[in-house]
Amino acid sequence: MDNKNPLSPHIQIYRWHISSLVSITHRITGIINITAITIICFWIASLLLGESNYELTKVFLQSIFGKFIILSLTWSFSFQILSEIRHLIMDLGYGFETKITNITGLLVIFGSFISTILIYLT
Amino acid sequence: MNSSTKKWLFLKASSFLLIPLMIWFIFNLVSVFDKDYVEVVSFFSKQPSKLLVSLLLVFSYFFSALSISEVFEDYIQNKKIKNAANKSLNIFAIIMPLLTIIIIFNLKT
Repeated sequence: MDNKNPLSPHIQIYRWHISSLVSITHRITGIINITAITIICFWIASLLLGESNYELTKVFLQSIFGKFIILSLTWSFSFQILSEIRHLIMDLGYGFETKITNITGLLVIFGSFISTILIYLT
Repeated sequence: MNSSTKKWLFLKASSFLLIPLMIWFIFNLVSVFDKDYVEVVSFFSKQPSKLLVSLLLVFSYFFSALSISEVFEDYIQNKKIKNAANKSLNIFAIIMPLLTIIIIFNLKT
């Protein structure tokens, strides 16, 4: 039986704002992160195969492409962390004014890039 | 308590717990990903990494299952398809962390 509840409108009908950009990026990074965590699970499982079978994984992770993936993942995790903190603050009832929403949205966007650089450099 | 309220509270509680776990994990992932086999195994098989990675997996899959079920709620109208999608999602969210935690606890340096 079909549910008669209305569905959410698809994203292409909205006019883009900072908050909508942060919201959709939050969902996309969420999917990227859980996919990455699933790949990390397989990476951990591959450790059971022993040192001789790990060589190919090591070569891949030490390559430019491997490093780029980890750098991208660092950004994706950073974005998710900052966006979750923003969500939790909003859940407490703060930061709903348009100006504040825009500022916190920009903080999430720029903060994710800055923290990626800081995490990668430390 | 309403089931939607309960779901929302679980989502927020897991999100709150995931923040420090994700910060800890990303710092460690960056420092360990390109190391030798022995160092990688040592990272995953020793405490506190063993416990923290296990917690990260449990909360990540729990949080993701709740979040993705919201997306199903928003975009899938057919009840049968929605239920099947939610069941598959929940099974996956239980099996993946469970198997990985078993593997982590069986890793030997």
